[in-house]
Amino acid sequence: MTTVPPTLAADEVEPAVRGPAPARRGTLPPVARVLARRALQAVSVTLLVSTACFVIVQNLPGDMAYRIAAGRYGYDRVTTASADAVRADLGLDAPAWQQLARWWADLAQFDLGTSLVTGGSVVHELRLPVTSSLQLAATALALAVAVGAPVGMAAAWRPGGLLDRLTTVWVAGTRALPPFLLGLLLIMLFSVHLGWLPAVGHGSASNVVLPAVTLAVGLSGLFARVTRDTVAQLRGSGFVTFAETKGLRGRAVLARHVLRNAGVTLVAYVGAQALILIEGVVVVESLFAWPGLGRTLVHAIFWRDVPVIQAAAVALALLVVLINTVVDVAGLALDPRPRWRQVVP
Amino acid sequence: MSTATTTVPAHWPRWQRLRRLSPTQRCAAAALVLLGLFAVAGAWVWPDPAAQDLSRFLEPPSLAEPLGRDHLGRSVAGRLASATRLSLATAVACVATAVVAGALAGVLAAWRGGIVDTVLHGLSEAFVALPALLVVLLVSAMSGGGLWTLYAGLALAQWVEYFRVVRARSALVLSGPAVEAAGLLQLGPLHVLRRHLWPDLRPLLTTMATFGVGTSVLALSTLGFVGVGIAPPTPELGLMITEAFPYYDEAPWMSLAPALVLATVLVGLLGLRGKESVS
Amino acid sequence: MNMHVQGLVVTHTGRTLLDVDDLRLERGRAVTIVGESGSGKSLLAHAVMGTLGAGLEAQGRVVIEGTSYDVAERRARRRLWGRVMALLPQEPVLALDPTMRVRGQVAEGAASFWSDRRSGYRAAEEVLGTLGVAGAARRYPHTLSGGMAQRVAFAAATIGGARVLIADEPSKGLDDHARNDLTVLLHRHVTAGGILLTITHDLDLGRDLGGDVLVMRDAGIVERGPAHQVLITPSHPYTRRLLAAEPGRWRHLWVRDRTSGATERTADPGGPTLVQTDRVAKGFAGRTLFSDVSLTIRPGDRLALAGPSGSGKTTLGNVLLRLLQPDAGSVRHTQELAGGRLQKLYQDPAVAFPSRVPIGAALADVVRRHRPAPGRLTSLLAAMRLDESLLQRTPGQVSGGELQRLSIIRAILVDPLLIFADEPTSRLDLVTQEETMCCLMEQVERSGCALVLVTHNQALAHTVADRVLAVAG
Repeated sequence: MTTVPPTLAADEVEPAVRGPAPARRGTLPPVARVLARRALQAVSVTLLVSTACFVIVQNLPGDMAYRIAAGRYGYDRVTTASADAVRADLGLDAPAWQQLARWWADLAQFDLGTSLVTGGSVVHELRLPVTSSLQLAATALALAVAVGAPVGMAAAWRPGGLLDRLTTVWVAGTRALPPFLLGLLLIMLFSVHLGWLPAVGHGSASNVVLPAVTLAVGLSGLFARVTRDTVAQLRGSGFVTFAETKGLRGRAVLARHVLRNAGVTLVAYVGAQALILIEGVVVVESLFAWPGLGRTLVHAIFWRDVPVIQAAAVALALLVVLINTVVDVAGLALDPRPRWRQVVP
Repeated sequence: MSTATTTVPAHWPRWQRLRRLSPTQRCAAAALVLLGLFAVAGAWVWPDPAAQDLSRFLEPPSLAEPLGRDHLGRSVAGRLASATRLSLATAVACVATAVVAGALAGVLAAWRGGIVDTVLHGLSEAFVALPALLVVLLVSAMSGGGLWTLYAGLALAQWVEYFRVVRARSALVLSGPAVEAAGLLQLGPLHVLRRHLWPDLRPLLTTMATFGVGTSVLALSTLGFVGVGIAPPTPELGLMITEAFPYYDEAPWMSLAPALVLATVLVGLLGLRGKESVS
Repeated sequence: MNMHVQGLVVTHTGRTLLDVDDLRLERGRAVTIVGESGSGKSLLAHAVMGTLGAGLEAQGRVVIEGTSYDVAERRARRRLWGRVMALLPQEPVLALDPTMRVRGQVAEGAASFWSDRRSGYRAAEEVLGTLGVAGAARRYPHTLSGGMAQRVAFAAATIGGARVLIADEPSKGLDDHARNDLTVLLHRHVTAGGILLTITHDLDLGRDLGGDVLVMRDAGIVERGPAHQVLITPSHPYTRRLLAAEPGRWRHLWVRDRTSGATERTADPGGPTLVQTDRVAKGFAGRTLFSDVSLTIRPGDRLALAGPSGSGKTTLGNVLLRLLQPDAGSVRHTQELAGGRLQKLYQDPAVAFPSRVPIGAALADVVRRHRPAPGRLTSLLAAMRLDESLLQRTPGQVSGGELQRLSIIRAILVDPLLIFADEPTSRLDLVTQEETMCCLMEQVERSGCALVLVTHNQALAHTVADRVLAVAG
């Protein structure tokens, strides 16, 4: 009998499937990994915004040097000589990529430049807007969670009950009523008709009420909805049933098992809503003349004040990153399981 | 993601599945269709919404002018139809662009992996920290306003959402046993696209796109309201509300009508999705 | 003390799901209910415990310690939970709170915990110590192995001192070693004077527990009696059918001689080599699963990779198929395996088909690509006793057994030289398992292709394969 030698080769057949390579897991502790990822995100979003602002500058009508000279010395003192001086000083004759590199280098040194409108230092001018926006966002978020979470919890206790259905109507209602309309409505009701609260301004504690409520109405509905769904799902879960059959009373089950697990989902959801919150901040600030980043940005865009546009936009984006960083770290503290898939966004 | 129509067998023809829409979904669809008809028919009934007639300043509603005339004597109904048309068309165009771009990039990233995935994912990480409004504002500052700017800005702001969902979902599908089996059966990439990825992504994209149209309409009107959207002579929902607001006491219908159109679009799209699901 | 179930009926929208007239449980004697899925046995556990789903209507009475409870009144028994009666959950990993350390989850079942946390923790550590998992106290559930989680769940369920213990499919997902430990724990509860009601589809568990066995089918009890009698010399035809479906008792032409496991039969040792591995090794996250595995697979070979869960037998199979890269060593495939002649069957066939497409459409793509003889699909469907109308459904609308047979058809359509079957029947009932393996092995016999079977079931491995490779992990 003659045996045919087996034909063998190591790699004749391609692997049948190719997907994205699984992420390599380093030995970094989870918190360090989260912080590293968010730091990278902060850098990349800053670069993106900064580059966009550079393009804006390049596309501005009129001679860049004249505009900057006007910003530096005042409109009535601009001469060809001063414009040339600016041109030479800033290297505006250099190719675009060299200018972009300079632009980035300035940013890397935290040199945000001066406002083209007021001539003041951007860092200095943004101090008040940053704190006002933070104040508004934090108040709105606290209000939304403080109202939404308990309502959702109560709605979950009787699925299909009155409160549950009211929550559904509330969510649908806030979806139909965009923040700017809601803001108008609140102004008309509480400021114009009732005269209880000031519509615009900043300074006293009562000023923050209307803008914060405007933001919180929509958010709290969403939080109520998510809390309700999470708690309802948890109540049917294996470990809650087991806790009950172990002999725990309803309140003990809630305190020891439902709350923390619901917190994991809710905290992640806050992160997912950070964008909506910041977007709302921009709108509501314009509506209520709240001296925050959003209003500053809209004004700066109106005047094409590029250094301020850049600083305000970066600050808003970093606010989103900051919220998500806090959310990630809180999530790690609440949930010991390794995160195989990152929570959005 | 479950919809109200899960009980319908997959092999039923499409029209039969349509019949299984819930009453809410039917009402929502009807409202949206009516609104669309109003927007389209408005172009014939009021051919020139910009025509001014100052002698008809704040004219109250009548049969010929169901919503009266505004402070410049322009037909409010005509302007509203034009604004609705503009909003819906721009929103649909933005979402379509964002869906196509985002989905293609997402599938590409998930399938190819490696450097393509790294680059696209890195870009999306930056975009995802930018509120959509901010992107639109930046883009409009970049090129000086106008409808095209708004379209580009909104599409640019939204692609990342589709990219991330499609990338995550495709990676899951592509690494799953069904695609592994298809690989062993040597059925080729077309089979994977047609039988595995597309059927899995389609319901997801439909839901997201419905939501995206609402977001776009809202963003357009918000920008108009804030004063950085479409430039004033062109009728736009948000702009109309701002313009009509000073005359609220004399002519409340002028501000209420565009707000109602906006609410109808948003609620209609919400109702079309069926059961409210939290994404 | 004893427990007495009388006239228990559970219905759902008019359909009877459970009808048990009379069931007595006594201290010190285990009662085990065996049956296939859908027989209503799990409902019995939940009806007795008072944890039935909201959509189910129940009637009947449960007498515990002389007090009679109406089964329909679920809340009344709640105060018995933990102190008088306890439920040992199926899949303990899901029954433990992922965000809480084990110690707290065990301690909260102790009555003392609510007046004095410290003494509760002490009691928990003590119980965990006697179960041999003292080290688990400060760990989170996701870091526990299946066997450890089972013992932790046992500790948490019994720390309240409940005499009545109801165990619902307690051996589900456990490997042999963890299963033996579980049997010891349940035995200990019975010998300490407890009442034990175990619900299982695992006949061996019923034999090991002893006591009385009840066999359930279609909502009712078909046979009852001492375990050694019912599960060894049954009288009811259904019980006999059930026992005959255990892999160790199969009588088919393709069944290998289990007694002479030592004599390796390799079909045609001179034949060409399909797959050859040379000292392959693979590990995950720093843990080595296997190393130095050298194997040769020839046409007609039947190789089983057997071992406990998590031992890496599926990984080894995937390395053999070159779906995974080995960390060391090489895997060589013959040229003839290219072009789709190497096929795989999955543990869960539902995820092996495109989920939103009718099965027929998925199979049509296979036919279009590989062009089997006309009518082959129809004849295979007939051979597997499958109705052609199944092709119009999506995978989610077909039962697990039918779907696994459809995936066998899909593999056979391309005329494979080697089939890799990864736990193809571990999710199926005994009778369905036999039916499915029959379909597979008839096709394997007919085509003469090689088979690599991954299974945790030693009896199945020795029944089907010529060679059994024990993967220890």
